[in-house]
Amino acid sequence: MSSYVPTIGIEVHVEIKSNSKLFSSSANTYGMATNTAVNVIDLGYPGTLPTVNKEIIRQGIRTAHILNCDITRKMHFDRKNYFYPDNPKNYQITQNRTPIGRNGYVEIEVDGVRKKIEIEELHIEEDTCKSAHRGNVSLLDFNRAGVPLIEIVTKPCIKNGKEAMAYLTKLKEILFYANISDCKMEEGSMRCEPNISISKDDNFGTKVEVKNVSSIHNVGLAIDYEINRQEEMLNNKETIKEETRRFDEKKGKTILMRVKETGNDYRYFIEPDIPYLELTDEFINDSLKSLPLLPDELREKYSKLGLSSLQIEKLINNRSLNDYFLGLLEFKTNYVMAVNLLLSDISSYLNKHNKVITDTNLSYEKLVSIIDNLESGDLSNKNVKDLIDSLMETDKSLDELKKEFKIENITDDSFIKDIITKVIENNSESVNDYKSGHDRALKYLMGQVMKEAKGSVNPKKASDMLREALNK
Amino acid sequence: MDKLSREEVLHVAHLARISLTDEEIEKYRRDLKVLMDDIDKIKEVKDFDSEMMYTPINDNTRLREDVVGEMLSAKDVGVNAPKKNGSFIEVPVMINE
Repeated sequence: MSSYVPTIGIEVHVEIKSNSKLFSSSANTYGMATNTAVNVIDLGYPGTLPTVNKEIIRQGIRTAHILNCDITRKMHFDRKNYFYPDNPKNYQITQNRTPIGRNGYVEIEVDGVRKKIEIEELHIEEDTCKSAHRGNVSLLDFNRAGVPLIEIVTKPCIKNGKEAMAYLTKLKEILFYANISDCKMEEGSMRCEPNISISKDDNFGTKVEVKNVSSIHNVGLAIDYEINRQEEMLNNKETIKEETRRFDEKKGKTILMRVKETGNDYRYFIEPDIPYLELTDEFINDSLKSLPLLPDELREKYSKLGLSSLQIEKLINNRSLNDYFLGLLEFKTNYVMAVNLLLSDISSYLNKHNKVITDTNLSYEKLVSIIDNLESGDLSNKNVKDLIDSLMETDKSLDELKKEFKIENITDDSFIKDIITKVIENNSESVNDYKSGHDRALKYLMGQVMKEAKGSVNPKKASDMLREALNK
Repeated sequence: MDKLSREEVLHVAHLARISLTDEEIEKYRRDLKVLMDDIDKIKEVKDFDSEMMYTPINDNTRLREDVVGEMLSAKDVGVNAPKKNGSFIEVPVMINE
């Protein structure tokens, strides 16, 4: 067992959803043609002035609120000065002294133990332009210059890769559900930079920052690799330098990028082009009004409806199905059955056709009538499978489709009776099991009846008749 | 006359990513010192760091509505760039690993 204690903090940048950029009215979009979502403010032209986008301040307020932070009422922006071609003003506008949120937390659970990951602060800042390196040149695309970011900084309270992954997974889920960001790490709309130090006592060791980590899983790997690397160095009496490393996925290693410049070199000062902002109670409350239910609130709500934890997690993992299901709650129906359908036949259909549920013709009324029919036995699960394409693609009602597909489950007593007699004869062992109190045998026998009838009998009726025959 | 140290001038030059000749270093040791003395004088003003120094008005929360406005064409974006590469602006490579 190692005698070193790791201390880890994580900085996360997320791109905020909005129509326009933070300080200019250019479009805040991803995937537009190179250098077409740009105006003179994004290019830092002399004489231009930034104006603050109201929606970004609202998003900042929402983020601070959902991460349990104190919201800063009076704030300003600061200039972070550095000379680099990805930012032609030679400074980035950020919030250094008055971040919009402070002292928050995200609650995680690792191996059954709950822990609060403390948030030091979160602030709003502008993104730089995107650069691609080709040999001895770099190519710049300014579409990203001025895109709004929120940077979320934890206290150094994370102990290992597992905790880091749990925190990032939770953070991503919350920000995604609150419509703050689409949090796509592969597109760079969520970027995670852990810093890691190890120490034998209460004094922190020298911290190493890891950049360019492309997935939450890799953040975990990078952290655990870095802890081992630093332990080995200290055991070999080597000195750890304050530096920035990157994670090489293929090698599973961190690799030195550059030795870090010290904080003082950024020469922060208050951005004189933007007046102080004062957030009123009214503005804050108004911003929070549009917040939807967040994952933990959904978990509580769904568990009260009787959904299993597996169903709940599957539903929350699928935003569009989840939002659809929330709408269904306006109707009175069997919600457990509804979720079963959503996660089985409906999901298979959607995956097969690469669609989301809002692209289909499955109205709430139609879904409710499917569930009613399943409950009454007028429709079997097999019928649903047979009808699923038509149910999703046409605007015909279930009754119309039943007629069209001639689905009328046989309720003719003698037909069902014959099948039951046959099943009882062929499965004497299960019949004996049932009679000696094994209820499970009934399920098996019922399965045999439906198999024999090729799903064409009313399941409720058949089940009643089977029980009656067995109890004779 | 007081001068900045050579190291101080080189540090500032490094932050601005420019190289200086020995002659220029000597010039900036004097020139930058004059500037810095002026700034120190300003700092002596009472409440230099107060809010009043940044904004003289109250209730100045002015926010822009989140609406997309006019943008430049890719051609215009590159019009002042020293070098272009397709629609990209090309600069000397910026990473040193």
